[in-house]
Amino acid sequence: MVREKRSVGFYVLAAFFVLFVLFLYGPLSAVFILSFQGPQGGLTFPLNGVSLRWFQNLFERQAVGDFGASFGRSLMLGLMVMAATVAVSLLAGLAFRRKFVGATPLFYLTVASLVVPSIIVSLGIGVLFQQFGFRPAWFSSAYGAHLTWTLPFGVLIMFAVFNRFSPAYEEAARDLGASSWQTFYHVVLPMIAPSLIGVGLFGFSLSYDEFARTLMTSGSTNTLPLEIYGMTTNVTTPVLYALGTVTTVFSFLVILVTLGIILLMGRRRARA
Amino acid sequence: MTDTKKTGISRRNLLKTGAAAAGAALGAGAITGFPTIWAQNPITLRQFGTGVSNLNAIAEKCKADLGITLEMTATDSDAAAQRAVTQPDSYDIADIEYWILKKVFPTGVIQPMDVSKLTYYDKIVPLFKTGKLLPDSVIAQGTAPHTVGYVDAPGDKTFAAGETGWFTMVPTIYNADTLGIRPDLVGRDITSWADIMDPAFKGKTAIINVPSIGIMDAAMIMEAMGNIKYGDKGNMTKEEIDKTIDFLIKAKQDGQFRAFWKSFDESVNLMSSGEVVIQSMWSPAVAAVRSKGIACRFQPLKEGYRSWGGGLGLAAHLEGAQLDAAYEYINWYTSGWVGGYLNRQGYYSAAMDTAKEFMSADEWGYWIEGKAAQGDILAPDGTVMEKAGALRDGGSFEERMGKVACWNSVMDEDRYMVRRWNEFIAA
Amino acid sequence: MNNLLSRATPYLQATPLLLILGFFLAIPILLLLVVSFWDYDFAGMIPGFVTFNYTETLGSWITWKTYGNTIKFAIIVWGITTFVGFWVAYFLAFHIRTATMQMVLFLVCTVPFLTSNIIRMISWIPVLGRNGLINSGLVGAGIIDQPIEWLLYSDFAVILAMVHLYTLFTVTPIFNTMMRIDKSLVEAARDGGANAWQIIWNVILPLAKPGIAIGTIFVVTLVMADFSTVQVMSGGQSASVALMMRNQMSLLQYPAAAANAIVLLVVVLFMVAGILRIVDIRKEL
Repeated sequence: MVREKRSVGFYVLAAFFVLFVLFLYGPLSAVFILSFQGPQGGLTFPLNGVSLRWFQNLFERQAVGDFGASFGRSLMLGLMVMAATVAVSLLAGLAFRRKFVGATPLFYLTVASLVVPSIIVSLGIGVLFQQFGFRPAWFSSAYGAHLTWTLPFGVLIMFAVFNRFSPAYEEAARDLGASSWQTFYHVVLPMIAPSLIGVGLFGFSLSYDEFARTLMTSGSTNTLPLEIYGMTTNVTTPVLYALGTVTTVFSFLVILVTLGIILLMGRRRARA
Repeated sequence: MTDTKKTGISRRNLLKTGAAAAGAALGAGAITGFPTIWAQNPITLRQFGTGVSNLNAIAEKCKADLGITLEMTATDSDAAAQRAVTQPDSYDIADIEYWILKKVFPTGVIQPMDVSKLTYYDKIVPLFKTGKLLPDSVIAQGTAPHTVGYVDAPGDKTFAAGETGWFTMVPTIYNADTLGIRPDLVGRDITSWADIMDPAFKGKTAIINVPSIGIMDAAMIMEAMGNIKYGDKGNMTKEEIDKTIDFLIKAKQDGQFRAFWKSFDESVNLMSSGEVVIQSMWSPAVAAVRSKGIACRFQPLKEGYRSWGGGLGLAAHLEGAQLDAAYEYINWYTSGWVGGYLNRQGYYSAAMDTAKEFMSADEWGYWIEGKAAQGDILAPDGTVMEKAGALRDGGSFEERMGKVACWNSVMDEDRYMVRRWNEFIAA
Repeated sequence: MNNLLSRATPYLQATPLLLILGFFLAIPILLLLVVSFWDYDFAGMIPGFVTFNYTETLGSWITWKTYGNTIKFAIIVWGITTFVGFWVAYFLAFHIRTATMQMVLFLVCTVPFLTSNIIRMISWIPVLGRNGLINSGLVGAGIIDQPIEWLLYSDFAVILAMVHLYTLFTVTPIFNTMMRIDKSLVEAARDGGANAWQIIWNVILPLAKPGIAIGTIFVVTLVMADFSTVQVMSGGQSASVALMMRNQMSLLQYPAAAANAIVLLVVVLFMVAGILRIVDIRKEL
């Protein structure tokens, strides 16, 4: 890497990477094109004229469902899940760096959380709330259901992060008289901050997308994926693709902002 | 109890004298103002069901007419059944199908309605009371709505044999399904359910992928091909299930099917993208394909239709003002505006006579009487759905609903059926 | 006092995870376990203790065939995603020079994953369909006469969509472990005369194993529990274990579905335990 000249391997891998990105974006481009479908057009090719009709329609009342309200719920839920996932995974990641009684069962419980079919977890939590007399809602039961999904990802990614995380830095800090909190805040946290942002993004997108776990836990109202699914039980229009295009653009914006924050933090660290 | 039963019988007699004449009895002024007490005492009713009938336009109109806020949540029919049974607190009004009601009602989550509080009970199509559209109709096989339509008393878990004073659900929409075809691509006349198995359409056919409904599609095909004569298609014996599934497995392995559709939307896309040229389909789905400028026909077949219906049920926990509001809502629902709205989508509404008041003569002629449209038929959003002169496939309401061969159903052997269905999918 | 606090620390740190998973996962699983021994009939569930939900599930060839089919998907998808994930992560971690560029490229990979799964899945249909982009392109270019039928509603379509949906789950952990590999090890190997292949094989691959193992757990569990991808992309023509459960649930046959879920849980936990025997991701924390 220190060498100035790129090896052949680099170009091969770069080509591979570009193909991979094209593969990821390929079907999205179909969504993108079809979101400009003409007013009479359907969900599949061919294009029946070109228009902005469906973007406009996104903000109108639909025959079934409501994009605005369900998007609001999904966004809020995604942010709540993101915050909890980052905090709990970080703590658990730190806990697992040391030995403690019950570590193995807890680990397997975490893995089990990935494994149990989502429709079953969803049903189980729904029934549990019903039995306890709580009212299932997107901010209570669905929140918990989403955490059973995002936490194993968060915790396992923290494993990857703390994997071979050299204790030398922490020891050095401690030798210099830093308290364990100071060590954590000034030494460990800055080093893992990008990964934490990654975990947060992961948590958000998993929650924002989650369908089956929300199905029985969202109570009387729908999150966005449920709403979209509910809409497909009636005539749907390319407005779904317009939504896809808008969310992708919106995600790009979120990513750009995140990137800005990372860069800013990097610069501050460089200055410090 | 005996009193209500008596009135029930007298009502039936009344209807026997002429279902059509009952419409004329309805005065024009009968459906006007509703008490607007809910505006002062805001009430919210939470309703869930499939997107087919949970339409925003209905909630809006309900708010305007009654002042009741209707919170509608659309799900697929599976999730609706699960939610109905496992989370009875999460809704006030359940909008579910009759066949699943057969399983949902015995769990005690739905309370029956007192028919004396239903203003338009008399106007509800007799199909839902006796199973007969016209006095001389034959009752179709399967879970016909009237077989799960009544209980003898509140709290009962088993259905009553005939009409009583306690109605389990007020029907919302119902329809008769048949094969939808692409006339431009099939290239011949389609007259029978058996035609879907024509080797010429290999890899270009589809049926529905809900176990308890897909097997009915298969049963219609089997019987049409002369492979079997069912005792009751809607309640097969193990042997009949075996034969039907074995037949399906063979057809699947031969590559006869392109796909199995689960949602309304999938059936529309399969047809409009040319993946499939003949498949079991809903009438409004055919209309949706046609609205894209693609030729598609809802093909009446000699064996008749496979029918389904949905209804509104009251959650068991409703009481007091909320219960009153729910009755108010249901009475409003059957008072005509909603009926007209649903009829114009290609479904049928529960109380045809009240709905008529809210449709133009031309609309009524086209959608219900099977007459040629005088002017353009418009969709709810104002776009042209059918041009003047168009005739509705399958003809009038009575022609369609009078030729129902069987209703969507759950069988006594449903446990065995699902096991075999999974085998079919795995094959 | 300090010592006590220090010893208590991991317990305190693990408590939130335990509480959340305990309430939202362990209790529902217990509930499931209980229900899986219940009897049921047409109208509902009957509390009791019967084992035929299990004997019926385990004794039927459909179950085994469906497991076989699902495991087949899992293995193929795992193979592809791990291969792709490894090389993409390797490229990002060792060939991209600045940390900023690494971040940017990594995030470019994550954007498609922020678009709704449902939309992403249905977006394949206009691409792969009989009259879709690929087929009309190939026919239009005169390469083929007839549209290729197996592009959509086939095992191929299922695997393609799964790879599309799940590759990020291997890229992320492998990238994270690779970023932790001490670059001086690579330098030392190079100075010692190792070529690029030898470095990858003897240095990077062994050190990236925990990340690969984590990615494997993600992909295997995701595929094993999937029902919507299989349902939509195979056009309902292919079976999966979760789909089998869903069909039972659709007719409210909960005890049978519960027994199925417990069997799936046990099978997949054994698979994960097997993965951990090969690479213990916790040993090297």
